[in-house]
Amino acid sequence: MTDLSQIDLAALATGNKRAWDAFVVASAPLINAVARRTLATYRVSEDDITDAAQDVYVRLCANQFRLLKTYDPARAGLSTWLAVVTRSTAVDYARRRRQATTPIDDVPETALAVEDRHVERLKIPPGLLTDRQTLILKCLYDEERDVVEIARMLKIDAQTVRSTHHKALLRLREHFREDAPEAVSGGPDRRG
Amino acid sequence: MNTDRNPLSDKELWQRFATPAVAAGTAAGTVSDIEFASWLEGRMSEAEASRIEAAVAADPILRRSALELSEVLGMPFPAPSPRLAVRAQALIGFEAEREASRGSWLSRLLGTTAGFGMPRAAMASLALVVAIAGFMLGGGLGESYAEQSYVMASNQTTQYSGQSNDLTAFFSTDGI
Repeated sequence: MTDLSQIDLAALATGNKRAWDAFVVASAPLINAVARRTLATYRVSEDDITDAAQDVYVRLCANQFRLLKTYDPARAGLSTWLAVVTRSTAVDYARRRRQATTPIDDVPETALAVEDRHVERLKIPPGLLTDRQTLILKCLYDEERDVVEIARMLKIDAQTVRSTHHKALLRLREHFREDAPEAVSGGPDRRG
Repeated sequence: MNTDRNPLSDKELWQRFATPAVAAGTAAGTVSDIEFASWLEGRMSEAEASRIEAAVAADPILRRSALELSEVLGMPFPAPSPRLAVRAQALIGFEAEREASRGSWLSRLLGTTAGFGMPRAAMASLALVVAIAGFMLGGGLGESYAEQSYVMASNQTTQYSGQSNDLTAFFSTDGI
């Protein structure tokens, strides 16, 4: 079976039947897996997952392979790019089909929280935190993800995530003159 | 130092801050597929990655995409339904055949569309075959001409026979 890295992209973009068939065989497991993961919260059937995956192929070869021709191998691997395209296509498919029905346990607490209007929410001054620090804090507290997941997303090691998190909180506390921060190990590494 | 209230936990501290939502399509949230893929793979420069991280931090949908994609890409993929590959592969074969038939000189000769011209050509060909077969079964041109010639020759012989009888009679009476 041909690997995605062995696909002749030039032949593919010209509509070569053999190249297309090989591409489909090589990419189908990835596209199917991403479509399945994306649609997991929408409670769709197996046929819907297959239809959403089929939409990806339709998009790729539409208009003389216009979307496929936007892919640049110098900037990203074909697998990752296909995964990004598949996710956005699957989301579009789900929106066309039905409204998302997310199990309540899958929704982070922050999305369900009722705002305490007696507590004024503070604005973080621009430049106080770096983009990465903000991203890590949001992933930890808004998305309720753990350090390992964030490290995998950012392609850094878990200790770097903890260190960045710690520094970000120090800055926040110093700026707003809160008490000394808790030990990092007692914070976001635990789920829930 | 405040002593009359408990210190906030990290999470409580974070929740004290307002995080305004980013409108769709704003500069901070506009990330192309290839940029997003490049960032997910860690192939961007620090400056480029910073822009993408700002967009991801500001947009919860992009953030969830990043987290889920990095999770899926790190796992083995289950085998898909065979139907997926069959349907997807069929996309290109159909298109290629349509392109080939659109440019056929025969379709232009026989009609404005290949779908209409082909049946007419087929019917014309069939009619011609039937006519030729029927003609051949009837003997064809050669036999028809031979028959006509025989009839004509027969008519002429009958005329000549009458004349020679008169001549013979004439010559016989004169002793010739």
